[in-house]
Amino acid sequence: MSGQVAPSEDQSPGLIKSTQELGAGLFLMAIALFFYWQGLDLPRGTLRALGPGMLPLALVTLLGVGGLMMVIYSLFETGPRLERWSLRGPFFVFGGIILFALLIRTCGLMIAGPVSMIFGMMASDEFKLKEATIFSIAMTIICILLFKTLLRLPIPVIGTLLEPIFPF
Amino acid sequence: MEAFLGNLAMGFGVALTLNNIFLCFVGCMVGTLIGVLPGVGPIATIAMLLPITFGFDPTGALIMLAGIYYGAQYGGSTTAILVNIPGEATSVVTVLDGHQMAKQGRAGVALGMAAMGSFFAGTVATLFIAALGQPLTKLAQLFGPAEYFSLMIMGLVFAVVLARGSILKAMCMILLGLLLATVGTDLETGQERMTLGIQDLSDGVDFAVLAMGIFGFAEIVRNLENPETRDVVRAAIGRLWPSKDDFRQSYFPILRGTLIGAVLGILPGNGAVLGPFASYTVEKKIAKDPKRFGRGAIEGVAGPESANNAGAQTAFIPLLTLGIPPNAVMALMVGAMTIHGIIPGPQVMTKNPELFWGMVASMWLGNLMLVIINLPLIGLWVKLLQVPYRMMFPAIMIFCCIGIYSINNSTSDVLFTAFFGLVGYTLLKFGFEPAPMLLRFVLGKLMEEKLRQALILSRGSFSTFIERPVSAGLLLVAVVMLAIALLPSIQKGRDEVFTE
Repeated sequence: MSGQVAPSEDQSPGLIKSTQELGAGLFLMAIALFFYWQGLDLPRGTLRALGPGMLPLALVTLLGVGGLMMVIYSLFETGPRLERWSLRGPFFVFGGIILFALLIRTCGLMIAGPVSMIFGMMASDEFKLKEATIFSIAMTIICILLFKTLLRLPIPVIGTLLEPIFPF
Repeated sequence: MEAFLGNLAMGFGVALTLNNIFLCFVGCMVGTLIGVLPGVGPIATIAMLLPITFGFDPTGALIMLAGIYYGAQYGGSTTAILVNIPGEATSVVTVLDGHQMAKQGRAGVALGMAAMGSFFAGTVATLFIAALGQPLTKLAQLFGPAEYFSLMIMGLVFAVVLARGSILKAMCMILLGLLLATVGTDLETGQERMTLGIQDLSDGVDFAVLAMGIFGFAEIVRNLENPETRDVVRAAIGRLWPSKDDFRQSYFPILRGTLIGAVLGILPGNGAVLGPFASYTVEKKIAKDPKRFGRGAIEGVAGPESANNAGAQTAFIPLLTLGIPPNAVMALMVGAMTIHGIIPGPQVMTKNPELFWGMVASMWLGNLMLVIINLPLIGLWVKLLQVPYRMMFPAIMIFCCIGIYSINNSTSDVLFTAFFGLVGYTLLKFGFEPAPMLLRFVLGKLMEEKLRQALILSRGSFSTFIERPVSAGLLLVAVVMLAIALLPSIQKGRDEVFTE
């Protein structure tokens, strides 16, 4: 599962023979264009003394060509179709992480932990609020004991906002 | 020889202190614990457990990290045998016969043999590293920028050739990794490159951020999407100690597997991946009754597992002697070492001999621990395999968040990780395999530095790479490999190897 690409159905015949390949190519070309635009102002230097902009330009060009080749292939070679994209998974998982980042300083791990985990757990179809609450609180306690008490990492347990309430 | 023994003795002196034995034990233990979880590969395991090593001195931390690495590897094999899910590319082969054995009620024997084969392979590989370490380090000191650059190009080509799936896609991932490495302050001029004006990016993209985003978070989203089909073995685990017959059948496969794995593991560009495949093919070819393979032949577990472990360990050689990580896991080790203030390379052995030899000795110790820890704990691993994913992923999430935050006490790092998770998820959706990108990201800065140095030395002439014999030789190997891989007939065979 890790790092593996799941096999998906091949495309049915049509103008575009593989939507996955087409998307891949377009995505790469978009990245290449973005970095090209970002690197426009960098001095490229000469071969004798390469400037900071030379290597990025070379890489961006190659990447763009690679993307273009994929787009062309997608019109001629039958390949996998693009899978359906789910919004639920990315929204809750990445949302949970963002919540963690926003809460950790101000409210500390004791709030950021459960909140981000419960929010993240909503990504699963089998989400149950009670189970998620108990699990996330237990997990947070484990994390505090492990990282703060045992390993002494400088992670705030009680954030700056809550410190006046918990004076210890 | 005397120096060799003296070095090993010094290493064991370091590794056998109570403190370091304990760290090695804890590393192996938690490495296996996390590595055994289905859907969590070695890269994710190491990335996730990185923060627990922060509090220790560099030697202790590296010993622990090495323990985590072996534990993660072995945990992957356990999952392969018991659940029919290969945690990573190298245990794909173990699934074939290992899971069949498990279905026949011989899971214990398969796991036991895998552990003993791995221990033997680990012992040999440790000696290998100890013997080759010094000469290779000397060689590395003769390398100029041109040679380094050519060596990395060769590794790059190997990585492309060995990648699964489309060669074009693998190449693009490599380019993307190199491109990401250029973000940040330019080494020579101090000019900021492609930082989008974001202050936090002036040091470049943090390695751990990229690794955890792509291998921690993107994987979670990916796994959530595919409904779980876990085929945990219901048959009894059976006894662990293999019978006399099992041993008799496994001696030579273990020997051959170890040799194959150890040699392939040294190759730049993830040669270790080939070990188990090669070992399995060899065993099947020379078996009296090849039909048994795929139906629970113990040779099909013993050989590839030994090759896997030997390769996993000799993959340290290019990292420790040349400072060049051969695969994504080793790239992660570079990141981890850098966090602890150690830049892997030939200078480690000369400047920090205790750290170097202590780590080598602890490799052997780690392998021994794995046997001791795993055989009695198999029951516990089986229980862990039944933890549903909806409980597993929030735990992975919070561990990664805490880890990322702790590296620099930075909330923006956490946000970047979420961003790279999204990028990684998109890449997976488009059928890209992100591991080569991670490796090239690490090598990118080094490659650019060496390229520019070489061109300054040669006054801007690219012919320096061909005029210097060692450099030319390395490039020649790369060209030949690439040409061979692109031949249509080989390409077909390559597909077969990876789909088998």
